Amino acid sequence: MTEKIRLEAVTKLFNTRGTTTVALKPVDLSVRDNEFVALVGPSGCGKSTILNMVAGLMPASGGRVLYDGAPVAGANRRVGYMTQKDTLLPWRSTADNIRLALELKCRRTAKSEADDRVAQMIDLVGLKGFEKHFPAELSGGMRKRAALARTLIYEPETLLMDEPFGALDAQLKLVMLDQLQRLTQDRRMTVLFVTHDLAEAITLADRIVIFSGRPGRIRSIHDIALPRPRDVYKARFDPDFAHLHATLWDEMKDDVIAAGARA
Amino acid sequence: MTPRQTLAWQVALGLLLMALWEALGQLGAVNYVSRPSLVAAKLALWFGGTVYQHLGTTLIELILGMGIGSSLGIVAGLFLGRAPVAAVVLRPLIVALYSVPLVALAPLFIMFLGLGVLPKIVLVGLVTFFLLFFNTFAGAERIDEDQVHALELMGASRGEIFRKVVAPGTAVWIVGGLKIALPYALVATITGELLATRAGLGFLLSQASERFDMAGLYAVLFILMTIGLLLSEASARLETHLLHWRQGHD
Ligand SMILES: Nc1ncnc2c1ncn2[C@@H]1O[C@H](COP(=O)(O)OP(=O)(O)OP(=O)(O)O)[C@@H](O)[C@H]1O
Ligand SMILES: [Mg+2]
Repeated sequence: MTEKIRLEAVTKLFNTRGTTTVALKPVDLSVRDNEFVALVGPSGCGKSTILNMVAGLMPASGGRVLYDGAPVAGANRRVGYMTQKDTLLPWRSTADNIRLALELKCRRTAKSEADDRVAQMIDLVGLKGFEKHFPAELSGGMRKRAALARTLIYEPETLLMDEPFGALDAQLKLVMLDQLQRLTQDRRMTVLFVTHDLAEAITLADRIVIFSGRPGRIRSIHDIALPRPRDVYKARFDPDFAHLHATLWDEMKDDVIAAGARA
Repeated sequence: MTPRQTLAWQVALGLLLMALWEALGQLGAVNYVSRPSLVAAKLALWFGGTVYQHLGTTLIELILGMGIGSSLGIVAGLFLGRAPVAAVVLRPLIVALYSVPLVALAPLFIMFLGLGVLPKIVLVGLVTFFLLFFNTFAGAERIDEDQVHALELMGASRGEIFRKVVAPGTAVWIVGGLKIALPYALVATITGELLATRAGLGFLLSQASERFDMAGLYAVLFILMTIGLLLSEASARLETHLLHWRQGHD
């Protein structure tokens, strides 16, 4: 399989009011076409920063970020990015927010087809009945789902997702994971997925990248060899799953606890 | 209170004030405060014919001045608000210009542009330009960059980002600017007319005061007040229409 995303010795420094923060020590990572990679690690270790660089929203301080073999320069329009903070447009209803990408010249869609696809997406993320609500009238979890639908509707070849399901309850989260797995497999998408939830990462990912605390660097990378398609509702009762979970948690826990103590 | 009740109270209060005013006039202060009945008679007389020319002149000055001034202010504010470098360079110039009390320039405009509607339109235009410019600029500068990035990644062109994020995101500020500008524009129109003119409500006002015609003076003020009320009502409607998504969260 070909390589989609490649980070070569990527570092990132931030200068804020005279102090320099090292957000990332040299990071090397390669993501194959159609691969689902989860990034986990303590808060502040640079996970969102990596997604921002792959999306071309900020340059690396050192090293290179490649997409399809070419350096990322400026906004990377091949990726759909669901950011940690939601960027729904507050003056648009849920349905109109989800429709946004289909209104653009680069993929203009006939109204009837756009209506159908919006309805499908609303169904998929379980927002039926809230089409006409404005973002301020939705709950945090509903806004996340609207943002997810807005990103999925135009089926970008690569998805960057930053804690997309953080605000959802456990049951709803499983439903969303199931939908996401199905869609990304069907459409053969490449996914870079940030989460704090190890179980979620194991359920979805082909590989899990564990970061250590700030300044962030890769501590270890693990292949998740569970067969696909995975049953997201039952996966966590599988003994292999439990074993993986225990191993990965052992890897992570010192950093997570240290980050917690610092905070 | 239901809207009906509110209205009833407002009408009652208005009538009470009128009654007090009338009583004050009847008690002998009529040379200073006139009386509602005299003012009403004056209004009836004027609306029988002579007032329309003056009303029309003032409205034309106000509407053209505000229309031109606010359009230019909005365009300039949107442009500079999204062009940080140009904004930094031009900012001192704009602030310096804005610090000039514009109404003080009225005699100058009249000297250069004559006694017609033109100097008033320029004055009103300048006043509204600056108010709309500053408000729009502040709004455009505060556009959430993350929203802009989201559209960029979706493949939106610059024009599309402008139409779908920058313009609607600044609408709150533009409407706010219009609401602030309305009374200032009315003041600027009347000031211009008071200084030198042959027509307009300001002309009626200066004529009435020269003749010590108290009823005429209050009649003009009444008309101005009504214009002010209607305009602010119109801007409130515009606000509800444009910003309906904000209802219930402020
Ligand atoms: N725009 C910025 N300016 C300055 N510092 C930044 C900026 N963005 C991130 N940082 C810093 O970089 C480090 C990594 O931030 P990042 O947001 O990538 O962490 P994260 O792993 O996504 O954390 P979390 O799990 O809490 O979202 C942090 O120390 C943060 O303070
Ligand atoms: Mg983050």
